[in-house]
Amino acid sequence: MSDKTNTPREITFRVRRFDPDTDSAPHWSEYRQHVHDGMTVLEALHQLKAEQEPTLSWRSSCRMGVCGSCGMFINELPQLACQTQVLHLGTDVVSIAPLPNYDNVKDLVPDLAPLIEKHAAIKPYIIYTDQIEIDSPTGEFLQTPEEREAFSQFTHCIKCGLCLAACPTVATDPLFLGPQALAQAYRYTADNRDCGMKERIEAIDIFHGPYQCHFAGACSQACPKGVDPAFGIQLLKRALVLDSIGFGKKKSLLAKVMPLADVVKAIEEFAPPPRTV
Amino acid sequence: MRETRLWSVHLLVIPIIVVLLGAHFAVMHYAPVFYGVSIEEARNFETMIERGRSVAQLVLYILLLAAALYHGLYGLRGILRELTLTPGLGKIVDTSIILLGLFIFALGAYVTWWTFSFKIGG
Amino acid sequence: MNSNKPTAYNNRLGVKGWVYAGRYTFERYLYLGHRLSGLGLIAYMVLHIVETANRMRGEEAWAALMTLFASPLFRVIEYLLFAAAVFHAMNGVRLLLTELGFFLGKPREPVYPYSSSIKRHRPLTYIIMALAGLIIILGGSSLFFP
Repeated sequence: MSDKTNTPREITFRVRRFDPDTDSAPHWSEYRQHVHDGMTVLEALHQLKAEQEPTLSWRSSCRMGVCGSCGMFINELPQLACQTQVLHLGTDVVSIAPLPNYDNVKDLVPDLAPLIEKHAAIKPYIIYTDQIEIDSPTGEFLQTPEEREAFSQFTHCIKCGLCLAACPTVATDPLFLGPQALAQAYRYTADNRDCGMKERIEAIDIFHGPYQCHFAGACSQACPKGVDPAFGIQLLKRALVLDSIGFGKKKSLLAKVMPLADVVKAIEEFAPPPRTV
Repeated sequence: MRETRLWSVHLLVIPIIVVLLGAHFAVMHYAPVFYGVSIEEARNFETMIERGRSVAQLVLYILLLAAALYHGLYGLRGILRELTLTPGLGKIVDTSIILLGLFIFALGAYVTWWTFSFKIGG
Repeated sequence: MNSNKPTAYNNRLGVKGWVYAGRYTFERYLYLGHRLSGLGLIAYMVLHIVETANRMRGEEAWAALMTLFASPLFRVIEYLLFAAAVFHAMNGVRLLLTELGFFLGKPREPVYPYSSSIKRHRPLTYIIMALAGLIIILGGSSLFFP
């Protein structure tokens, strides 16, 4: 294994190509190039484009696993090209295809619009129903570390869409909200500052909602940030069931508020030292 | 109706199915193990009618029928509606599943009642 | 919409995606097994109710049906149904627990190497699948050698 994973050598890249202007269906092209230790799939694609195939298209930006642009189907698994080292794959042939379950715009570019639309559909923001407090706030919300930990994991989502490429339900059902949006729905309902369960239920308690997740777990395996969307969906199911029988988490408006006067005092207390220049 | 309710009911009927289907298996398929009679005897016409004449059997079988049909058809509906369908086709699936469920329930319940009220020897 | 706009290629996997979509762990195939066994069981249940309604046609019709079901072919089918029912029930216990959020641990900060709810409930999965296998073998032995 060790000789396979760090010996620089020639690797064959099987890349799926598709040009909407000329092709009606995608086809595979093969390229051979030298790969050095530590080289990521994204770097290999850049080298390929520079040296062999100038027309090759893909989408990428930050090249450090933060922006979520370069999701690809690498060696039969959805992965971020920038986080996957070619030699760590351990194969002499590396196949690269666009993410499944999305429209393929060109070469390795998927159309992520449905992901963003579904994310928006679940109202991914804190819903606070006390309009008077919103208009003229009297204090500041407090959140204990425990309250934060209940949903913190799910805030790490970078919207790369790998989970939808892995999900068997998304494979047939274009209306299914999908692991990304449903995990985010849990992230907001589990937030102690959010009072939007009632509002959010209209968007998520539908046929194409959490119950079309059958816990195959592929999304959690694919997630490059350890968000574990399948976990979020199961917790969302529990929250919805408890809510439907009247045992939902009771959230009082402004449960913990630090009065504004105290906030001002705290700011003064922790004010930076006066400027010296 | 909220999907949560439909889904919760499909979980709630599970204990009914497990207990009653277990009993059904014991009587019909494991009679030699549990009752010391051969499977042929257990499935004999007269034995069957005899068993069917108890009120407990009548009630429990109709209960099992309803529970298992709900659980199974809820699952079938889920699978069918996961296919890429237009909203119209989705409604057709829902309606057909309800009609199929009602028909099978009516047939099963009628047969159970027929067995219960059967008079041996005419 | 602009009619000159090039059309994207539909890359949705379809029903094939239920079966295989990449190199995932075995839980994804438990999902497939649950689905297939469930379809088999509901199909059988509908047939079973129609078939046992034959009793209303009298003793001879019933006896003929029971003789048919005693044949080796039907015993094998019966055993397959039994295996499907046991798998569906045991895997169903796992799903009943996990889909309501039990045995999955607590949400935690994702620190590499990531833990996941799938890995955390894997011991439960192993125990339940071992039990299912045991019941299928034991149940089969008394079905075939009464």
